[in-house]
Amino acid sequence: MPMIRLKYYALLREQAGCGEERLETAARDPAALYDELARRHGFSLPQAQLKVAVNAEFSDWSRPLADGDEVVFIPPVAGG
Amino acid sequence: MSGFDFSRQPLDPAALSTSLADVAAGGFATFEGWVRNENEGREVRRLDYEAFEELALKEGSRIVAEAMQRFGVRGARCVHRLGELGLGELAVWVGVASGHRAEAFAACRYIIDEVKHRVPIWKKEHYLDGDSGWVNCERCAEAAHAHHDHAHDHDHDSGQVIRTPPAAASAPDYSRQMVLKEVGLAGQRRLAASSVVVVGAGGLGCPVLSYLAGAGVGTLHVVDGDRVEASNLHRQPLFAMADVGRPKAEVAAEKLAALNPSIRVQAHLTRFTEENAAGLVALGELVIDCSDNFATKFLVNDAAVLAGKPAVMASIYQYEGQLQVARPDAGGSCLRCLWPEATRDGMVGNCAEAGVLGPVPGLFGNLQAMEALKLLLDLPGQLRDEILLVDLLGLQQHRLRAPRCAECAGGRCARITGLQPARVTEGLELSLLLEEAAAAGYRIVDLREPGETARAPITAVENFAWPMARLLDEAPAKLDPEQRYLLVCSMGVRSRAAAEVLRARGLQQVFSLSGGLAAEQQRRAAGS
Repeated sequence: MPMIRLKYYALLREQAGCGEERLETAARDPAALYDELARRHGFSLPQAQLKVAVNAEFSDWSRPLADGDEVVFIPPVAGG
Repeated sequence: MSGFDFSRQPLDPAALSTSLADVAAGGFATFEGWVRNENEGREVRRLDYEAFEELALKEGSRIVAEAMQRFGVRGARCVHRLGELGLGELAVWVGVASGHRAEAFAACRYIIDEVKHRVPIWKKEHYLDGDSGWVNCERCAEAAHAHHDHAHDHDHDSGQVIRTPPAAASAPDYSRQMVLKEVGLAGQRRLAASSVVVVGAGGLGCPVLSYLAGAGVGTLHVVDGDRVEASNLHRQPLFAMADVGRPKAEVAAEKLAALNPSIRVQAHLTRFTEENAAGLVALGELVIDCSDNFATKFLVNDAAVLAGKPAVMASIYQYEGQLQVARPDAGGSCLRCLWPEATRDGMVGNCAEAGVLGPVPGLFGNLQAMEALKLLLDLPGQLRDEILLVDLLGLQQHRLRAPRCAECAGGRCARITGLQPARVTEGLELSLLLEEAAAAGYRIVDLREPGETARAPITAVENFAWPMARLLDEAPAKLDPEQRYLLVCSMGVRSRAAAEVLRARGLQQVFSLSGGLAAEQQRRAAGS
């Protein structure tokens, strides 16, 4: 299974309990990956509220994932 | 030769220039002030200049000496005419010889500005209609001003405090930034002529306002409807304990006027709403979003896009933040290219709920001030069609491309057609005591995280601990559509957001405790 490098920001970092991790996953795209992670970490934000970036580029949720990809889930934040 | 002189004879610029001749000088800047045919709408025929000569010579010489020392120039001189002058005649001449042009320009500007402000010279204007009038030197106006201690005028109807600089306001020494070849005198003038609207005078707003005021941005509009709280001070260095309870915008305007008396700071003691958004955005050439909630951030973005003006936006969360610059004026992307739908407040914590360390908004405010100056000065490297993420715990940053969305790639953003009023669901919030709610048949649900609940447990009534993330994950399956639920959190922001989400999923019997447990305790104290 592909190994994906994950980075979390804001609420996701808090709910995951870490800022980054590596994960071996069968998820074929970021949408499936987020579903898997949401169950595992109890993420409260629906996918529609997030942006995903793969290898430092904003990406479609249906983009195929490859071994070694870096995936960043970015929630909106509002503090000031 | 004195650095400052008066002359009753016409001035000879060529001779004056020669008097500063210096083979080591590579730059020579001069300024000439001429008698103009109009003042404040009245046609002028001729002028009489009078001076309090003894004092004026001392003050004028001091100014020229200051300029030579400050800017390190080789020679400087100023000569002012006295007596009767006709239209077009040379009234004042300033010349500066220097190793390089930047200091020559800066010192020349300094001398004429300070002479206008500080040297006691009176001007009698003879108008075309036969009338005449004395025009005070600016220092005399200041002396008159000092007698009554009104540095600002209140306009209660509009909720504004207009702070005008005192007449003899002196400007900070901008030489350290003017030395930058990208800034120079032209850049400094551009800043002085510019006007910026800052929405929010909090953790982001404090550094933004301080740096823009210090840089000499000519007009700053400060929009904030809140008052200073003690819990603000760790991240909002414009405020002190003595300011607690006072309107933030007013205090900020005072501090900024003290920092730079030569700029105009206008305080707007109001929230940024869909009613006033367009009017406020119209006041500046760019707007800086320093607000602390999604509703305002999207409103600032939308109003800026509709007005075709840049918006410099930042948001923070605990130890990290995001920076984005909307450029509707240059075909660039905006907040809605990334997030088409405004996120509900409460879905992601604010500073009160999630916590924040002061330097985090400090850093992002500084980045905003920098991007604003880059825009105003047309400097390279501007953030556009990108988002910058910085994590201050891990000291990591990501700069991600965020181009215009397909929907507005061809022109105006199709996602923004007008300003949306704040979303309010009628009858969603209840102002009850918990016992009253329980007695009325509401099931009380504590949405707080386990740590928060442990620190301040609810003891008055039976309740269910159901942290927000889990509740939203498990709803609507695990909720009874016939049962009435009262969602509770510490401030009432999360519970309102959760209630809105659950209503949208078809659960009509879900309510939010208005103002959270904090407000409930106040109601309790007020009632007992």
